[in-house]
Amino acid sequence: MRKTLSPGLSNYSTRTLKLVLLYAIVVVGLMFFCIPVYYMITTSFKGEWEVIAIPIHWIPQEFKPSNYTEAFKIAPFARYFYNSVLVAVVVVFTTLFFSALAGYGFAKYSFPGQRICFLFVLSTIMIPFQVLLIPLYVVVYSLGWTNSYAGLIIPGAISAFGVFMMRQFCLTLPNELLDAARIDGCSEIGIFLRIVLPLLKPPLASLAILTFLGSWNNFLWPLIVVNKSHLFTLPVGMTVFTQPLRAPYWTYIMAVSTVATLPVVLVFVTLQRYFIQGVVLSGMRG
Amino acid sequence: MAQQQVSLRADTKRSGIQTALRHNLIFRRGIYGILFIAPAMIFFLVFNLYPMVNGFYLSLTNYTLLRPPRFIGLGNFIGLASNTQFINGLKVTGLFVLGTTIPKWILSLGLALLFIRQFRGRETFKVIYFTPTLLSGVVISLVWKLLLHPSGLVSALAQPFTGKSEVFWLAHSSITPIALIAVDNWAGIPFYIIIWIAGLVGIPREFYEASLIDGAGRWQAFWRITLPLLRPTTLFVIVISTIGSFQAFSLQYIMTRGGPSNVTTTIALLVYNYGFNYFRMGVAAAMSVFMFAVIITLTLIQIRSVRAEETSYT
Repeated sequence: MRKTLSPGLSNYSTRTLKLVLLYAIVVVGLMFFCIPVYYMITTSFKGEWEVIAIPIHWIPQEFKPSNYTEAFKIAPFARYFYNSVLVAVVVVFTTLFFSALAGYGFAKYSFPGQRICFLFVLSTIMIPFQVLLIPLYVVVYSLGWTNSYAGLIIPGAISAFGVFMMRQFCLTLPNELLDAARIDGCSEIGIFLRIVLPLLKPPLASLAILTFLGSWNNFLWPLIVVNKSHLFTLPVGMTVFTQPLRAPYWTYIMAVSTVATLPVVLVFVTLQRYFIQGVVLSGMRG
Repeated sequence: MAQQQVSLRADTKRSGIQTALRHNLIFRRGIYGILFIAPAMIFFLVFNLYPMVNGFYLSLTNYTLLRPPRFIGLGNFIGLASNTQFINGLKVTGLFVLGTTIPKWILSLGLALLFIRQFRGRETFKVIYFTPTLLSGVVISLVWKLLLHPSGLVSALAQPFTGKSEVFWLAHSSITPIALIAVDNWAGIPFYIIIWIAGLVGIPREFYEASLIDGAGRWQAFWRITLPLLRPTTLFVIVISTIGSFQAFSLQYIMTRGGPSNVTTTIALLVYNYGFNYFRMGVAAAMSVFMFAVIITLTLIQIRSVRAEETSYT
């Protein structure tokens, strides 16, 4: 694009200048976006005394990896971590299964009321969570699910966006394939489990990442639905740890922050393509 | 299953009764469709539709979790109009939305325009730019709370300009809102860079080549080709970022608790406070209904504009 746009600027020194300028902007931006993350990781290895030291310690002087083990002793972060993993894993599996099932049902069967039901799903996507907060809490409260795993997991167990996404992908599956399976005597549920689900792997991977991120990073819902420490998820537990009246142990907080980010980084590194897709989709879901 | 096969095969020979049978077959298969969507539909009824309708109802009551709801008409909404906290929340939210949308659009588009050029190390840079997106809202808030500590990293870096060794970034009525806006921009820009790049890559090069032949400069090409063809992406970015900023909660809750003196108490934070600190669910529900009205308007504007876009292309 550069070449086609600027044939008049083939002058060597102008081009070099422009390239230098481009790198300067990119590198300044890079520092802006990365220093906070770098600072989080280095602080997690510092001694408490050097967190607020002047001049700034860019590299920990008292290298203290024991922050990580000490942080997990000072508060039940292991428990919070376990809760977060449990909730995320269950939510991912229920979302994938039921979204694929419903999406397939919408795409490949016809039945009365189908259009209305699908419109209902579409409008459900548009409901912002902030608006559901109070009445959803009331529902969970009257079901007696506050302070329980059910309260943490079930309200997020199926996503309307997931149903919509799976329906769009199921529409592209050839009917001949499904009919062939029927002729071979495969039951309808068997077709879904043995033929449709394996074909949906790529979109399911994106949906899994998107759902995992949503659950892992979710803060508002667990904050209101549980107030017993043994049920806290990691984000809630970390926040309680920094409440105004507590002395903030910054090194420990940064250690736990780093640990809380690791699973996301792991998913990012192993499934980069699906990851970016998932993040973009999560933005679209709003 | 065997029965179904027979009826299908016979269908080709005779019509009439067989067509009816075939319809019957498709209808019977449709039962599986109903069966497959049933769990999801029941779920959405219980956890989406019912709460939403109930939310509208609760906004017309004086519900407090402990006391059963009593209908009070539009009382809560009338109360909001003179509720100084709510009016303050509107101002705070408005400022936050302005500060976290327009700069985000411009900066992320600018960086995206750089990233569609060819230069060495581009892909690596792109991946590293993505880093803030990996952090959760809570981690972002905690890290920045440390960075914005009165004698923390930001104070140290800004010392040549401020001349002070201690700046109370998060306890100053005019600096704090700006500090939170800056943090939100930091966290959001990388995401929008990715979105813009996806949009920019979709513009055919031929358009630029043609404009070059017609003697258009680079600025002209940007205003006349890039921006018009980016319209769907632009609409998406504008609506998504506005809706997101409008619901801002975790930054304010974790970094400042709405303080100092409520200069960062957004409406979302007010909903939380009224619902779960004061237990005034009715008022909180009324505020939610207000938020819903704003958000749904934005969403509908986006949907309508995108539709208009599709027809105008052809």
